Amino acid sequence: MPLPEGVSELLPGYLARQRWYGGSEPDDLRILDSDLLLALERETHRLWWALVGAEGARWQLLLGERPKGEPAEFLQGREEAVLGLAGSAYYYDGTLDPTFDLVLLQLATGGAEEAERVRPAGVEQSNTSLVFDDRVILKVFRRLVEGPQPDVEVTSGLVDAGFDHVPRVLGVWRRGGDDLAVAQDFLVSGVEGWALALTSLRDLYASPEADPADAGGDFQAEASRLGQMTAAMHRALSAAFGVFRDPGRAGEWADAMAAGLHHLRDEDPQWRSHAGSVVDGLRQVSDPGAAIRVHGDFHLGQVMRTDSGWYVLDFEGEPARPLQERTRPTSPLKDVAGMLRSFHYAARVALREQAGDAAPGEVLERQAAAWEGHNRRAFLRGYLGYPGVDELLPGDDRSRSAVMTAFELDKAIYELAYERSYRPDWIAIPRDAIRGLLGAA
Amino acid sequence: MNDDQRWYKRAVFYEVLVRGFFDANDDGTGDLRGLTAKLDYLQWLGVDSLWLLPFYQSPLRDGGYDISDFFTVLPEYGELADAVELVEEAHRRNIRIIADLVMNHTSDLHPWFQESRQDRVNPKADWYVWADDDQRWPEARVIFIDSEKSNWAYDAGRGQYYWHRFFSHQPDLNYDNPEVAETMIDVVRFWLDIGLDGFRLDAVPYLFERDGTNCENLPETHEYLRRVRKEVDAAFPGKVLLAEANQWPEDVVDYFGDGDECHMCFHFPVMPRMFMAVRREQRTPITEILGRTPSIPENCQWGIFLRNHDELTLEMVTDEERDYMWAEYAKDPRMKRNLGIGRRLAPLVDNDRRVAELLHSLLFSFPGSPVLYYGDEIGMGDNIYLGDRDGVRTPMQWSPDRNAGFSRADFAQLYLPPLMDSVYGYQAVNVEAELRNPSSMLQWMKRMLEVRKNHPVFGEGSFEVLHAENPSVLAYVRELDDDIVLCACNLSRFAQPAELALQRFEGKVPIELLGRVPFPPIGQLPYFVTLAPYGFYWFQLVEG
Repeated sequence: MPLPEGVSELLPGYLARQRWYGGSEPDDLRILDSDLLLALERETHRLWWALVGAEGARWQLLLGERPKGEPAEFLQGREEAVLGLAGSAYYYDGTLDPTFDLVLLQLATGGAEEAERVRPAGVEQSNTSLVFDDRVILKVFRRLVEGPQPDVEVTSGLVDAGFDHVPRVLGVWRRGGDDLAVAQDFLVSGVEGWALALTSLRDLYASPEADPADAGGDFQAEASRLGQMTAAMHRALSAAFGVFRDPGRAGEWADAMAAGLHHLRDEDPQWRSHAGSVVDGLRQVSDPGAAIRVHGDFHLGQVMRTDSGWYVLDFEGEPARPLQERTRPTSPLKDVAGMLRSFHYAARVALREQAGDAAPGEVLERQAAAWEGHNRRAFLRGYLGYPGVDELLPGDDRSRSAVMTAFELDKAIYELAYERSYRPDWIAIPRDAIRGLLGAA
Repeated sequence: MNDDQRWYKRAVFYEVLVRGFFDANDDGTGDLRGLTAKLDYLQWLGVDSLWLLPFYQSPLRDGGYDISDFFTVLPEYGELADAVELVEEAHRRNIRIIADLVMNHTSDLHPWFQESRQDRVNPKADWYVWADDDQRWPEARVIFIDSEKSNWAYDAGRGQYYWHRFFSHQPDLNYDNPEVAETMIDVVRFWLDIGLDGFRLDAVPYLFERDGTNCENLPETHEYLRRVRKEVDAAFPGKVLLAEANQWPEDVVDYFGDGDECHMCFHFPVMPRMFMAVRREQRTPITEILGRTPSIPENCQWGIFLRNHDELTLEMVTDEERDYMWAEYAKDPRMKRNLGIGRRLAPLVDNDRRVAELLHSLLFSFPGSPVLYYGDEIGMGDNIYLGDRDGVRTPMQWSPDRNAGFSRADFAQLYLPPLMDSVYGYQAVNVEAELRNPSSMLQWMKRMLEVRKNHPVFGEGSFEVLHAENPSVLAYVRELDDDIVLCACNLSRFAQPAELALQRFEGKVPIELLGRVPFPPIGQLPYFVTLAPYGFYWFQLVEG
């Protein structure tokens, strides 16, 4: 069923205001499909579904409709989520409307799950998530991929392989071969790894001269358990999706990295050649370890500390990379590198909190570096000590370090490009990392 | 006194060291009449039950836990008549009294043991656990690792080894002997007849020994406890058995049985976790342990505490956590005692009143009946240079007068010197001064106990941890019918925001319980609160 008249004109402006879209007003927007999902309150409250094409991708929209002038408490302070008026009704992001959400949950789980209450799960980069009764979380995908969403595919595969540190999948909402939304267990006791790391860092920075191992908020034990969980995840991923040892895989990884080196064009000209040598170093590794399906965007924001240990979320890979690249088997050290980069980010972001734009001072700088090193070592201890993870990694230390450095550098260059586009204030963080990695290589 | 048989579900206990509380006869040692003289203070404070450390005849080589006659009061403390008077006076003030009872062992000076060690044929020959060598039950760990090497000790007189789970001067009774089992029940009857309201059963997991086991928590031990419970229920309804079993909660629950063993058990591991959570500024250490605490029979209750006369017990944390607690709380190696840390609450939290209040707010609102330790209500300190565990057993500080107002004996005659340092000494920290100061720790404590008493939900309600994105914020809801209390606290030294998912209570109005101040009603959106450093709120949720 087509959207009501006048709505499609509101869409480009609306899209540009959405964080999950992350772009300016598209001029090529097309409505690929649409439907009326619900009509309540004598058909005055309606929920529309639409699939639109814009900027070479497909986007899922859920649009609420209410009569002009009828207030809605859930829209307070959410002006960006309102499309505006069309005819005698106004339109808004339908996922903010609790009445609709409760029905969406039933749709997504084929009626298996019902709830009394719903709340939004906080700001997210690429999806919209809703929490029901603090028990179930429904993730509504915004940018659709062809075929199954990697997140759904990987989570289910891990559970089947006996890995229970991912939230169980309770149901998937599908339409015409596309995964539209997935319902999973909500980790009610969970705390994001990023928030825990910042808590530890704030404690450290407020204790002048303290060593991270002596500070009250020492993160070492958590980092080490996180390393163990990561290794267990890689074992399960290799069991579920296979272990690949094609000759030339190091070369393929290197090729993909080499393609990203152009992001260094505005930096110190020497960096590009140094980075090229790091990538060549990877190419020459004779035993680079196995290629497996990996998490792909592994960082502290993707892991939750719950009462039963660390859990991992969001197997979608880096959203800015093409799907094919995101699901391609690669070295498990890619994830390890991602988490190590995240420790660096946490230390620096917490430092910015302390110092603002001013230089943080020598003591804080030293503490930041010490925290990162301390937890980096703890994470690696946990990871490398996990039984069986060796089989997936390069055999000797030199190869291991060459592969790891290359993946860390690749990640830092990706971050550099990301920060340049979205958060120029933060660009010093990846820049410092690249400088460090090239200096050490 | 009220005749509520479930009183222990809502009670606040106060652990008191008779020796250290008040000296009525000026001999330098606290006594039962001294405790009786201070009952008005305890009634004013608002405690529901006292827990007395052992007051039986004893050579006092282990603080009275080495009993040499179960039917006699230690002469320094008084005589049986004083115990009777204490119980009567306490009951007149609606205060109950439970007392320590050591069932596992006696002093080696107990006449039973003296007789038993004579030879292998005397009438008490089998009252203790004897063997020809020291090889049996190798799986049983040594508990007092600082002073004991083995669970066996050689007795030259009898030419045999005897079994002791604690000090070698404390031989274990042999519960396989029916006479022993029966006699210990006579001990229980004797004291309940006098009017005691129950016992804290010391070291219960170790009553029996069996080959191929670690000799802890054996089925025979549980069976015996069920028998004790049956006797108590039949003849003394409303009396309470509180087990000391320093184990993980999933093992401790066995001591509740099906509600037919002990009424109460101490929840040991939650205590170090509270300290750890504050140190790490995050709730996980607490939610983890509460999450793995099994539910218990409806007529049972946990006993929870921040500090007691023993060390901060770390037996029940993992090695890694134990190292962490040591590193954080005992930088001075003298502070390490066995597997714990011998400190009082105030010095343990660097005398930070905010942290002490926060920890008490947790103690008073977590599932269980709180047990206070004498002196902590005024923020007393400790003296780690006194031997063994005496550092936390110094005289109660009543006033700035000589000997802290505890005794009129000569200073040199005191069982232990009172604290005299400039921070925690009795000139600075004492009951008299805090009674006069409306903002003192003592007055705060009294207010908290009042609030708790008005809300049975704290003792009997359900407990549910709420989701909060901020790891430093711990929020939970206690519910009992329409009495709903929301607790939110900040475990961090920095101010923290929290958005609480309270949609379930939409339309209700939170009333802050200490000041009765109404807060904005709960709406559809997450409820936003700002918490001061180490701050906490208790809200009653009422219909708007």
